[in-house]
Amino acid sequence: MVSPSQPLFRSLRRLALTTKMVGKGFYKGNRTGSMGRHTKHGGYVIDWNKVRTYVAPELTDFALKPFVSREIPWPRGRFPGEEQGALSGRLYLEKWKKENGEY
Amino acid sequence: MSTLRCLHPATRAIVPIRCAYNASIPPAAQFHNSPAVGARIRTTRDNNRNRGVSAIRRKYPKDPLSVSKVPLPEPAKREEKQPVTVDSDHGLYGFFADSGKVLPTPEEDVQHGRAWSVEELRRKSWEDLHKLWWLCVKERNILYTQSLERKRLDPGFGEYEAKSKDREINRTQRAIKHVLTERYYAWQDAKEFAKLDPQVNLTGHGPAYNPMIFEESGAGRKSKKYKQHSSNKQVA
Repeated sequence: MVSPSQPLFRSLRRLALTTKMVGKGFYKGNRTGSMGRHTKHGGYVIDWNKVRTYVAPELTDFALKPFVSREIPWPRGRFPGEEQGALSGRLYLEKWKKENGEY
Repeated sequence: MSTLRCLHPATRAIVPIRCAYNASIPPAAQFHNSPAVGARIRTTRDNNRNRGVSAIRRKYPKDPLSVSKVPLPEPAKREEKQPVTVDSDHGLYGFFADSGKVLPTPEEDVQHGRAWSVEELRRKSWEDLHKLWWLCVKERNILYTQSLERKRLDPGFGEYEAKSKDREINRTQRAIKHVLTERYYAWQDAKEFAKLDPQVNLTGHGPAYNPMIFEESGAGRKSKKYKQHSSNKQVA
């Protein structure tokens, strides 16, 4: 029986998928996402709601850095009496009332 | 016959691109890879204009090009060139470190702190987290620029230190995403709590928060009753 040698076969498995290897409807893409739609005449209509916009903040006078000093110990969160911890809506509401609640 | 005249039309068409900055010479006609209008059409045995043209054998197109008649511009002298002025505050400088160095030494690269912890970031506002995210992005862009430069210069060191620094920034970014996800779920949960809370007004009209205070009503009974804070200021 003729078959490809095993090591070669294994290394082939590591290659990228192509359209010949999979069924119809396989969309490989190029990791960018669509920015519009194709027309039936072969054109492309840009949908500005799909086009990425980046809101970059003003960073002047921003005191924080991407790092924290190694002298500062790694803190642990404490949420007394709350099983959900940071996901607790009750704590969120309390904090909102204390800080942002308008009256 | 000068050296430039000896050049083949195709080569001559390429040469002016290199001296395009000389302003004293009129700009060359736009390059077309088609014979000049009115030029004699070469007849070949099968009307194939590309007969005898081969990139492999260095046989150039035999038809004169539209730019063939244009005199070759002379390159500008170095002294005549205007010095290039660069905006010292250009945004592209954000891709380079403030030190002005091409590459930091590994010793400089390891001098960074640890990543932000999730617990530390929980106390930060949305604006702070947003700014910190973009600060991380900018810092990593600098590292990418330096890694390109490292690839070019190939000093053989510094890659490990730069990578571990990059990983540390990535940890901060991961913590920011963690906090925002947490906050989103907590907010959804809080909305459910607010529906049951008489002090919170979710209708969108009037103040969202109406704090109420406890008030003793009746002499003997210990029943408690909510009262509006705003309407009973003397009680408070």
